[in-house]
Amino acid sequence: MASHGRPNYVAIWGWLVALMILGLAASFLPGARGLAVALIFATAVAKALLVALNYMHLKFEPRLIYAIAIVPVLFVLMLIVALFPDFVFSR
Amino acid sequence: MAIRTEAQAIPGILPGKVGVWWFLASEIMLFGGLIATFIVFRLGSTGWHGDAAHLSVPIGATNTLVLLTSSLTMVQAFAKAEDVNERGLRNNLALTILMGLAFLGIKAIEYSSEVWAGYTPASGIFWSFYYTMTGLHALHVLAGAIVNSILLGAGRLRNPLRLELAGLYWHFVDIVWIFLFPLLYLA
Amino acid sequence: MRESGAAVLDVHAHHAERGFWRTYVFSTDHKMIGKQYLSLGLFWAVVGGLLAHVMRWQLAWPETAVPGWGEVGPETYNVLVTMHGTIMVFFVAMPILLGAFGNFLIPLMIGARDMAFPRLNMLSVWVFALASLVLLVSFFIPGGAASAGWTGYPPLSAKAEYTGVNWGMDLWILAHALEFAAFLMGGVNYLTTAIALRVPGMTFFRLPLVIWQLLTATTLFLLSVGPLIAGAVMLLLDRIIGTHFYAAEGGGDPLLWQHLFWFFGHPEVYVILLPAVGLVLDVLPVFARKPIFGYRWIIYSTIAAGGLSFIVWAHHMFVSGMDPRLAMPFSITTILISVPFAFIMFAMIATLWKGSIRFDTPMLWALGFVAMFIVGGLTGIFNGSAPADIYISDTYFVVAHFHYTLFSSVVFGGFAGFYFWFPKMFGRLLSEPLGKIHFWLTLVFFNVTFFPLHNIGLAGMMRRIANPLEYEFLVPHQWINVVATVGGMLLLASQIPFVVNVVWSLLAGKTAPKNPWGANTLEWTAPSPPPHLNWGETLPVVYRGAYEYSSPEVAEDWLPQDRTLAARSR
Repeated sequence: MASHGRPNYVAIWGWLVALMILGLAASFLPGARGLAVALIFATAVAKALLVALNYMHLKFEPRLIYAIAIVPVLFVLMLIVALFPDFVFSR
Repeated sequence: MAIRTEAQAIPGILPGKVGVWWFLASEIMLFGGLIATFIVFRLGSTGWHGDAAHLSVPIGATNTLVLLTSSLTMVQAFAKAEDVNERGLRNNLALTILMGLAFLGIKAIEYSSEVWAGYTPASGIFWSFYYTMTGLHALHVLAGAIVNSILLGAGRLRNPLRLELAGLYWHFVDIVWIFLFPLLYLA
Repeated sequence: MRESGAAVLDVHAHHAERGFWRTYVFSTDHKMIGKQYLSLGLFWAVVGGLLAHVMRWQLAWPETAVPGWGEVGPETYNVLVTMHGTIMVFFVAMPILLGAFGNFLIPLMIGARDMAFPRLNMLSVWVFALASLVLLVSFFIPGGAASAGWTGYPPLSAKAEYTGVNWGMDLWILAHALEFAAFLMGGVNYLTTAIALRVPGMTFFRLPLVIWQLLTATTLFLLSVGPLIAGAVMLLLDRIIGTHFYAAEGGGDPLLWQHLFWFFGHPEVYVILLPAVGLVLDVLPVFARKPIFGYRWIIYSTIAAGGLSFIVWAHHMFVSGMDPRLAMPFSITTILISVPFAFIMFAMIATLWKGSIRFDTPMLWALGFVAMFIVGGLTGIFNGSAPADIYISDTYFVVAHFHYTLFSSVVFGGFAGFYFWFPKMFGRLLSEPLGKIHFWLTLVFFNVTFFPLHNIGLAGMMRRIANPLEYEFLVPHQWINVVATVGGMLLLASQIPFVVNVVWSLLAGKTAPKNPWGANTLEWTAPSPPPHLNWGETLPVVYRGAYEYSSPEVAEDWLPQDRTLAARSR
């Protein structure tokens, strides 16, 4: 690990808390529910990326580790898409 | 005749790290399966918003904050280990364990207030999902706290790699909560 | 900071001091763990085979009691069907093909002294033993073993009232959970070992193909089992605390289980198939004395098939009430997946082309695999096309199809590997004549047993029925059932030469030389059987690919991977 710089862990935590508050605030947004939900999940994805890249050191890892982490995420997304016809459209 | 069994690991590849990432890949699929199912059921049904409204957002938000902060102390413990700062390492690791336990304590209070109000896993499909997802996640938090306690108790702290590996798992559990919180409480 | 917990082990100390328990029972040696998986798998093969025998007898002569078993009612028949499938897939095929060969071959073929995490490996086999115990116990508890089919579809599996089995079903789920935990530990170990512990010179594109196939299979398992574990947790909670995941009246949906099960279930059949394909791919060039045909393209095909296997699962659900809009995309992907497999099959056949073929026992099994698997693969195209499948779904045509694929993988592929590596595993040679008798009898009676099932399936016989004579339209076809049953009994009897061969060889067989077949891969440079930590003081270094047979550069017709060009004997 000594071979690369160390992210500012405390600053990352600051961002995480800020994003959390943003997500919470978005849930109280009046009017369009779609926008609120989009905002809530955008902050969640941003938080997850911050943790994975910095705290889990993914940004310093070789491509192999990236692949191990990303391929299952793609499979999950694909599973969601494939389940849509049976559980969303048909009801 | 002494033979080094693991010395010939290919330079730049740490077996422990590869192993933990493969394990996490299977964990992503486990929680991913649950979350995928939840999402399609949620989108395909009506009336879940009313059920979700019975969850306490302040409690959930507090727990999110606790877990995010525990990720900070976990990664700080690793940083202190790299700096050969044994005292800072121990303090941060102990804090991580405490926050993990605090998360579980808050979750237990939340569960009991919900059960008290009459919402059990059998109360409806939303509650089935809620208890299964958070319960499975809580078990993972407990496992993480146990792993960290073993590291702290066994005094095997000289090697920062061990802390990094335990940290990978801990941060993964944190990420799962980062998605469970908005899915269950906010959306 | 590059430390990997490197352990310095003393070879002498390890040889002298490991007692009986550490050597044979609580061993961390990958070779012993492989043999433990092999023994457990063979034990379950006997159990699964006997269950199959009882089923076949019942189907041929439904009104007669099965000798040694008694009357088989519909409830008992459900137990037989369920447990035969569960045992054969999860407790025979996986431990033998993935557990035994994976553990034995991966470190030896990549030049590692052991797995990356030897103690995790030991835990893996012991958790598997625990899973075996749980499954075995489930036969003897009140209510008997699980009877909701090996696929465990709810609502049948979700409520005890529907099958009359309560605890058996819970233990069935528990046994699966333990088994998955065991193979997750094993899988993490395989992948990490092959990524991190390859010997100098052993690049990814010099790995023997069986390693590639084992790694792909392991990856498929690791990435597909998660949703099924999630689904199994839901099923268990439905059963125990009354959640509503699969109960339509509570807002759930029984179809969900089928999606989650087959999301795992289809990659799972490749978890079984790919190691067998790998074993055969490694046996063929040795006995054709020719380089493998299309080494890299076989690897690309394997990866392509592995990736595609994640998007074909709904072809198991064409008649399940699934949204019909899903049928076409899943038919297309299913037909598409036959392309990489067809390539691999053609590569196998092209490897034989103009080779100097030796018909030793492992080669016979490998050729048997190629022939039989092609039959299974071709019937798969019928099953994969939704319009055809709607007619044949849940008939014996499907039963015939998956026995031609799975049985040929486990038995033909497995025996090819077993006869090939037996000298390395146990340090003894097997008898060639007995091995050949075993092969020919198995080949003939395998076809007598399973080929007629195609016909009776097309005639309309459904799966999982306990008494075909209750259906008037099946009565004229009953002779087919009798033929299959007689074939099945002879198929079981055909395994006697195998048992005799192994016992005789272990007791009095000829000592095996280091490299009895003249093969190139690294395991043949270690002593037979390899000692703990596999090689002496120095590990081999790899200079070339695994399949350089009949090279013009050397006088012999093989060129081992660890031979330098400087040592050429021209």
